[in-house]
Amino acid sequence: MIHTFCYHEKHYVYDSGSGSLHECDEKTARYLSGEPVSMTKEELAEIDALKRAGLLGAPETKARPIKSHAAKALCLHICHDCNLRCKYCFADEGAYHAAREMMPFSVAKAAVDFLIRESGDRKVLEMDFFGGEPLMNFGVLKETVLYAKEEAQKRGKKFLFTTTTNGLLLDGERAEFLNEEMENVVLSLDGRPEVHDAVRKTANGKGSFALVIDKIKNFVKMRGDKHYYVRGTFTAKNLDFSNDVLFLADEGFDSLSMEPVVTDIPDLAIREEHLPQICAEYEKLCDEYIKREAEGRYFNFFHFNVDLEGGPCLEKRVSACGAGNEYFSVLPSGDLYPCHQFAGEKEWRMGSVFTGVERADLREKFATNCLFTRKKCEDCFAKFICSGGCNANNYHFCGDINEPYPITCAMMKKRIECGMHALAERRSREK
Amino acid sequence: MIKTIAKPAEKKVTGCGECRSTCQSACKTSCTVGNQSCERITREQKIEKK
Repeated sequence: MIHTFCYHEKHYVYDSGSGSLHECDEKTARYLSGEPVSMTKEELAEIDALKRAGLLGAPETKARPIKSHAAKALCLHICHDCNLRCKYCFADEGAYHAAREMMPFSVAKAAVDFLIRESGDRKVLEMDFFGGEPLMNFGVLKETVLYAKEEAQKRGKKFLFTTTTNGLLLDGERAEFLNEEMENVVLSLDGRPEVHDAVRKTANGKGSFALVIDKIKNFVKMRGDKHYYVRGTFTAKNLDFSNDVLFLADEGFDSLSMEPVVTDIPDLAIREEHLPQICAEYEKLCDEYIKREAEGRYFNFFHFNVDLEGGPCLEKRVSACGAGNEYFSVLPSGDLYPCHQFAGEKEWRMGSVFTGVERADLREKFATNCLFTRKKCEDCFAKFICSGGCNANNYHFCGDINEPYPITCAMMKKRIECGMHALAERRSREK
Repeated sequence: MIKTIAKPAEKKVTGCGECRSTCQSACKTSCTVGNQSCERITREQKIEKK
């Protein structure tokens, strides 16, 4: 399908069938939107040439992804406890609505064995250490990494490790180990001190910004050119979140992500009436992002990465995140869930690392679930970029993994348009 | 006037499954496959640059 949009008086045409982006004048944009506009022969010839080249009005794929049951990644809930008490935490401040507990090594070891056993011919496996706060169980984390590397080597496989941490314990041996072993580290920091401290509090109710900022800065410095993301969350209380992203960039972080909160807490939750302001913030952020890039002060903002040339293949775009089929989360008990956002919700328990996947019906549901099972996505230009959204968000907000959540959709579309505009500006500078 | 800004590179292999799990890349809350890059293309580009 053809999607036209205007960004600061520039007109763009995105063709979802071919995945191509074009820039055009207003008249052409109106014509391609279906308005009755009189076009010259030359103008129509330009359009026809793009159509013949398969770059405009191209048919969209309807091919279902190849079904595979080979597992690829685990999210290891190494610690169901946290040393912070963030108000918006979807994980119930680390406890996931159950007792606070640590994963013993026996479970982590069984998880490694499970992933290797279930991975079929895959060579590269992924293991994410998640919580709560994973560094509260650093001993087991370390032991698990060493065990997984050893086992993978024996079987001609390789693990990519990642972790998400709030930074409170990120120093000394822990920092050195993460820097050495982790392919990517996601560091939680919400932006301006007052914004961060309003929600990310210690157990005694104090803000945590001052406790983590230097540790996170030192870690990023130590990291050199290895991957990391400083990842923030914005809520209804900081709808001016572009200031938080730019604050983080000004603090020297050059790999950033800022996510809308996932909560139903009334004073924090993102609601429909917030969308105009949120979209305006994304534009504001995008303008500054482009400006800084042009000045040689580039920072990577995850949601403006729209890699049209080298992005994922259609197979990946259609099959989406793989939760519940090639990706599972593992609780401290060893129980398996489709992903971390379903963790602890008994109806989604899929089995255990000791006994394997017991709920073949659920696995089948997730394996066959794809972009084309999401009927509301059919007429959306963004479908091959967002892949129909997050299963868990869809389920928690709309009651069905195949029912996209309209608020997330609106933000997603805006970010994609911003990313496309930023890409066009980059191309224009490169000429 | 209409000019092409970007079009997908022709992929030699699709569905190889080498790409990272989306959710673990940066956000853990909002799966966005299109914000990722193809691992194979990225790797090949790195080799070309070297």
